[in-house]
Amino acid sequence: MTTTLPPVAIPGQCLGSVAMYSAGPGTHIQQSNIYASIAGPVVADPAQPKTGTKSTLRVSRVVPATIRAASAANQKQRYNTLPAVDSIVLARVTRVQKRQATVSILVVLDDASQDPSQNASDNDNVASILTSAANPENHNSTDELRFQALIRKEDVRAVEKDRVVMEDMFRVGDIVRGSVISQGDQSFYYLTTARNDLGIVMARSDAGNMMFPVSWKEMRDPVTGAGEPRKVARPY
Amino acid sequence: MLKLPLIKLEMNDRRRINGPPGGTRPAVFASHLESSSAADRARRERQPTELRKIFLKTGLIPSASGSSYLEFQPSASLAAARETPKSLIPPSSALKLACTVHGPKPLPRSAAFSPNLVLTTHVKYAPFAARKRKGHIRDASERDLGVHLETALRGAIIAERWPKSGIDLTITILEAEDDRWWADAPDSHDASWGMMNVLAGCITAASAAIADAHIDCLDLVAGGVAALVSDDSGDSSTTSPRLMLDTDPAEHRSIMSACVVAYMPARDEITELWLKGDSSKAALENGDARSAHEALIDGAVDAARGAYSVLGDALRESVLQTIQS
Repeated sequence: MTTTLPPVAIPGQCLGSVAMYSAGPGTHIQQSNIYASIAGPVVADPAQPKTGTKSTLRVSRVVPATIRAASAANQKQRYNTLPAVDSIVLARVTRVQKRQATVSILVVLDDASQDPSQNASDNDNVASILTSAANPENHNSTDELRFQALIRKEDVRAVEKDRVVMEDMFRVGDIVRGSVISQGDQSFYYLTTARNDLGIVMARSDAGNMMFPVSWKEMRDPVTGAGEPRKVARPY
Repeated sequence: MLKLPLIKLEMNDRRRINGPPGGTRPAVFASHLESSSAADRARRERQPTELRKIFLKTGLIPSASGSSYLEFQPSASLAAARETPKSLIPPSSALKLACTVHGPKPLPRSAAFSPNLVLTTHVKYAPFAARKRKGHIRDASERDLGVHLETALRGAIIAERWPKSGIDLTITILEAEDDRWWADAPDSHDASWGMMNVLAGCITAASAAIADAHIDCLDLVAGGVAALVSDDSGDSSTTSPRLMLDTDPAEHRSIMSACVVAYMPARDEITELWLKGDSSKAALENGDARSAHEALIDGAVDAARGAYSVLGDALRESVLQTIQS
């Protein structure tokens, strides 16, 4: 009774009935049929046997990893992802104030793979964004085109929230891994780093060297040996 | 008798650039290589329901998140004129346009919170696109096209999937359609008929670019044009105008009315409808009970279905290309 799925869908193409599948990302339902809403390869995620749910149909924004691995490795993947509540993002700190830190979101990490090199987004080469030195004069224009977010003082860590000193948690130019807690208002999303795996992932010292983490609240410069306080994310 | 002080009129005004004192003659340029007649005008050589071929390709502009390029097949009279040139002026022009989509990107700081995607459309003629030069600032007709295009697309985009973000859609028209044959004087039925073809092309290209940018849509939107045309040089009272699809205004003596639709084929819905002219005098074939309006809209939808077949194939091709490369 299963009809064969098309390998590739275009918007408005009927993919199947809601009786057989449930609608995933990249699809919409019209008159109890599932239609594609973006162009791309059709993926049917198999049903979980224990919950007894239907298998989920989705239209992928990226080329499946199996196909991509076989092809040329240097091709650039480009797709658009918006930050949503609970999504993990990488962001660069642009401003540190007493009550909050302003960051601009560089990458929204996919749920499937948390490795940024696996799924680049935002039209950019992520590796080059992350390793490029923070240069406020250069990045002003591109930061305008990125989504802005705030990390409030009380969202920095889960314990001793009232003793947080923002200057000892973030510095301008650091790369933060954060989780979106709210879409926020017209201009800012809200991020939290109040988890062990969230916080600073990359930072440069005052001397300008890339630092390595030594504890959950300290990073150290390998050249000068000086330590600096940060809210450090747990390394994998 | 009072003598007028002529000397005053001849005095130079030093604050202005004065014209030459004598009369001038406007330059006359030759439009024809040899003496020509009305037989040189462009003629429709397609069937009334036969559409022009469309070239459509997506993803040609690497800096944009989505882009497309569209061309209509030039009129057969253009190829004939190139073979045996009788005139220095090309007999007809065919639509060529490029469309870019930038975004989704954050809304500007001054903008209010929007839970939906904010769509902004700009349509601009290149200065050299039409026979009459267009300025660098968008004029009323270009803004009008932008508004029509926005309504055509807004109904197809699933805006609530992209909160707090906007996309900018920009169309540059590189070659526009003529409003009439270039040597014809505007008659009583004259209107900017070429603009309707341009809009249909804009809709098809914009839908391709939006799909190329992976913006969620209910369906692809295709544009189509149909028109009631009277081609007889004599009095038009004896013969009634005929319905033709995808009309090139340069190929017809007189267009009575025209209709452009933006059509979603999979859902059988129209998102934008623009009717122009007087279709009351039109008589359809015997046994056709439709009013002329309905026939026009049906014809435009048929033309849009034709454009959709190109649109769908172009998108499938670009998806397969990204998978295989």
